[in-house]
Amino acid sequence: MKPEKRLIPATSTLWREIKRHRAIYLLLLIPMVYFIVFKYIPIWNGQIAFKKFMPRQGVVGSPWIGFANFSEFFNSFYFWELLRNTLMYSVGKLLISVPLSIILAINLYECRLPFLRKTVQTLTYLPHFLSWVIMYGILLVLLAPGDGLINDIIKFFGGRGIDFLTNVRTFPWVVLFSDAWKEMGWGAIIFIAALMGVDPTLFEAAMVEGANSWQRVRYITMPSIQPVIILVVLLRLGKILSVGFNQMYMLYSPSVYSVGDIIDTWVFRGLQEGKFALATAVGLFKGVMGLVLVIISNRMAKRISGSSLY
Amino acid sequence: MKKRLFTVLVVLLLTAALAAPVFAQSAADSGKASGPIDIELWYGAAMTEAGPPPSDWVGYSVIKDKLNINLKLTALPSSEADQDVKISAASAGDNLPDLFMVRREVWLRLVEQGLVAPVDDMYAKMPTRTSVQYDEDSRAFTTIDGVSYGLASPGSIQKNEGVLIRKDWLDKLGLSVPKTTEEFMAVMKAFTFNDPDGNGKNDTYGYGAFLELNNYEEGLGRRLDPWFGAFGVPGTWNLTKADFGLNVRKPAYFDALSFVKSMVDAGVIDPNWLSYKKDDFRAAWKQGRFGIMREQNAAYAATSNYAPFDKNFPDGGFVVADPPMGPNGDAAVGVYTRAFRIYALRDTISAEKKDAIARLLEWMSSDEGYFLIGWGVEGVNYTLKDGIPVADGVPDPEYAFTGPKGQPVTQLRNLVFYNGKVELSSRYPTYVTATSGKTMSALDVLRDFQSRSWVPTIGADTLPPPGTDLKRFYEQSVAEFITGRRVLNRANWSSWVAEFDKLGGKAWEDAGREVAVKNGLLR
Amino acid sequence: MKVKTSPIRLTASDRLFYSLINIFLVMLFFVIAVPLWSTVTLSFRPNDFIGTNFEGMFLAPWKWSNAAYKALLGNNGFIIAFANSLKIIFFGVATALFFTIPLAYSLSIKTLPGRAVLVIIILIPHMFDVGIIPSFLMVKNLGLIDKLAAVFLPTAVSTYNVLIMKGFFEGIPVELKESARIDGASELYLLMRIIIPLSKPIILTIGLFYGVTFWNDFFHPMLYLNSNHLMPLPILLRNILIASGMNEFVEVNAFGEAPVQSIKAASVFLAAIPMIIAYPFIQKYFSKGTLLGSIKG
Repeated sequence: MKPEKRLIPATSTLWREIKRHRAIYLLLLIPMVYFIVFKYIPIWNGQIAFKKFMPRQGVVGSPWIGFANFSEFFNSFYFWELLRNTLMYSVGKLLISVPLSIILAINLYECRLPFLRKTVQTLTYLPHFLSWVIMYGILLVLLAPGDGLINDIIKFFGGRGIDFLTNVRTFPWVVLFSDAWKEMGWGAIIFIAALMGVDPTLFEAAMVEGANSWQRVRYITMPSIQPVIILVVLLRLGKILSVGFNQMYMLYSPSVYSVGDIIDTWVFRGLQEGKFALATAVGLFKGVMGLVLVIISNRMAKRISGSSLY
Repeated sequence: MKKRLFTVLVVLLLTAALAAPVFAQSAADSGKASGPIDIELWYGAAMTEAGPPPSDWVGYSVIKDKLNINLKLTALPSSEADQDVKISAASAGDNLPDLFMVRREVWLRLVEQGLVAPVDDMYAKMPTRTSVQYDEDSRAFTTIDGVSYGLASPGSIQKNEGVLIRKDWLDKLGLSVPKTTEEFMAVMKAFTFNDPDGNGKNDTYGYGAFLELNNYEEGLGRRLDPWFGAFGVPGTWNLTKADFGLNVRKPAYFDALSFVKSMVDAGVIDPNWLSYKKDDFRAAWKQGRFGIMREQNAAYAATSNYAPFDKNFPDGGFVVADPPMGPNGDAAVGVYTRAFRIYALRDTISAEKKDAIARLLEWMSSDEGYFLIGWGVEGVNYTLKDGIPVADGVPDPEYAFTGPKGQPVTQLRNLVFYNGKVELSSRYPTYVTATSGKTMSALDVLRDFQSRSWVPTIGADTLPPPGTDLKRFYEQSVAEFITGRRVLNRANWSSWVAEFDKLGGKAWEDAGREVAVKNGLLR
Repeated sequence: MKVKTSPIRLTASDRLFYSLINIFLVMLFFVIAVPLWSTVTLSFRPNDFIGTNFEGMFLAPWKWSNAAYKALLGNNGFIIAFANSLKIIFFGVATALFFTIPLAYSLSIKTLPGRAVLVIIILIPHMFDVGIIPSFLMVKNLGLIDKLAAVFLPTAVSTYNVLIMKGFFEGIPVELKESARIDGASELYLLMRIIIPLSKPIILTIGLFYGVTFWNDFFHPMLYLNSNHLMPLPILLRNILIASGMNEFVEVNAFGEAPVQSIKAASVFLAAIPMIIAYPFIQKYFSKGTLLGSIKG
């Protein structure tokens, strides 16, 4: 992981560097063509956000209407609330799901009982495959106000049943923890893969020097997967305003709209009225926010830890 | 050198593997000679789970031989939201098929963009079909500024829901079928607290529901509409000349909402109702959780839907009741409208193809087409009994129109059905239940439902929908008044209505009035 | 998998450490296993079962019914849909890796002039999701409508996976590449003969991520495919699941004995098929050679 020697080629040697890597550029050619065709043409087509899109006139031929689609979003009665809810869940999941994945990965890595390790590792990835329809069924079993398992327990001890799924105070927690439960194991895979790359001799050396297990995790394990953690966090920040549409669409209901409606669900309800250009406009807005956030946090990550995206 | 050759080979192979499917034509795309006319049809499947008609379906060859049409079928996605997306995307790409089923909201946008063809000239070319499928209401449904832009066939059956009460519970508690809201309340309380199923557990409730909303059944939706009907404010719109408007803006709406709130506060409504989805609700009544509900005839009484309940409660059973009557004598199960399915033609269609489609649809409504599309081949997929197609007596039950191999050949039946007597008798046969031996008929239940009190709002589904924000404000606030997050009293309610108006509620009502007056929807 | 042969004796704090880990994992086991078990039992639940989901968890296995699996696997279109899904996952993963590996490798070379620009080029599409219509127009203009390629090509490369893989390639010691370069090896040779063999675990992992996405993708087939014979498994599943939830048209239940909820639960296990097949291979790599171990050993 040592930095290479020639970090910044002098301007005079730039051409030589380019020539030296010409095979790489050749290698990049096809993927770059792919990116232009399949990723940038749609972004170019995204100009319909500023247009009254008429199918017959095409993307370029449709008349411009300026920022009407954007102002419909910004002027929405619920704009600030949508933004607040979206950020709340984005940040909440970043603070709950990601650390849980990391903790799980380290626990699995450190576990000395092969049977326990393998069982838990195999089991934890499975919830990722439960659709939110099924998840909702599970949540209903646990949390239904009438006969949910948890409410049965509360009532057994003389408490009053709580309507977890339809109460604005409890609903956000249900969203955050159901996501953590479902995605924790899947998210851990990438950290486990990273841990596989840690040099085992580092651990031996540490043990010989008398470091205890805690210190080992603190000074060897964590730093060695730090670049992956930073990468995962940065990429999630890039999508900070897209936060689990499928989950929310399944879980929310009118009585918790005030804490459950996020940008994506709002856009979806607009889509049902055919507001496709609005969806594109919101997509552009989310992209700009994500880009700004990634650039800022990448700079911070570079300064603090030395690792960065580019 | 050898190794480099190897790597180059691998890369080449990979590229070839990638290129193959990219350029492969889809197999169905062929034979564009002078022969039969290709018609591309995107249909709404009758039973999405059963799969499309097989490629050797007899209908294909009949249509080709008789009508000189090469029919190319695509089943639309199963959920309406997905259908909308697919059709909207296809329209944006100017890629619409010749003939396609489309929901009215989407269709309206296509008309605005000039992407669907006028069909006024087609009615005369299809006399039989027009007489059974396209009446005045149907043509009004697709007419914009005097031009008809789509063929609207009858959709789901009107007034096919009703209020059902557990008769065995009433009997056990010595109660009679309630009539007024007050009597209903007393029965619901007894159902909740007096252990009507006698299992010694406090696990039953008076009323069961879930939120099921659409543009003409807003607020708390159709499952609670009987209570709003009791106060004279069922559905979203009041379409009478005397009192046109949004029900939510009427004073009686407060009384209805207060009554539902009192049900919630008394604990007589299944507390899970706000969390239930459709399937949970349906599973719940089959397990005997509640004693009163509003349910659809087939979901309640069709063979396989009633079977679990019958097995669980062989001695139990529901009766159809009149909807509760309110203090002013109002009562209604809910509102009804005439649901149509629109089939539209893309605007760039050639006259030749348009004629072919008219030919196809006219044939579909002939006796031959009607039975072939609706039930399949006589003696293979069905037999006739008193003129009614039945599944009994076919050689291989797998191929009966109700069996797994027979269902696919009847996928297009929504194109020919018009809820006539033959269809209904065939769809809802009388049968004997497996466990308790009761004689059941979803058709009798339907007729009973239809004889109860309903409020007509024909055309309410063609009125403009609220904006996204207003719709949310409406649904959210009503739910919050019910859960107690907003306190429900007269003062709060009138200030809420004022807020609703400010957010566009009044403008919505005015826009609705304009359309209703223009299209003559007021009674 | 790890250094377990160490002769060093465990201290009290080490023992606490390992007990805490075991306790955590055991607790986690139950937290995950109980709801999963309820899904398993739900998928086997007979139609005439009375009781809550909780009670259903204790239903004896000999009272289970396989009606839900029969309804899914016995569906008319199952074989064709399954074959289409296999095609999509095969070509999809091949395409994805064909693009992802060279991209990740190139971007992992820190001396490459213009690297930052290239990273930003692939980063931007990660954040800008411009919606359905712009993508549909692109696919239509390429003439891909109603071809399987339309299902996997637009989503073939995920920026997330490229950058993750790039991170792992960066972890391969520079000396290794440099010494090969000095020996006169071409970049392509380096990639094929050194980088890829050393990175099997991460390539498998990323391949799996792609595979699972393709396998469960419902939206793109729904949007881009029209021909019935091209429809993959998720479309079939969706048709079955949605049909069971439609109320207006319920007449005859096509599933016979299977309750709707069971079919939904059973479909989960179809969704997990690629994972169930691929996982043992991955676990083998995960527990066998650590990356650096294999280089030094």
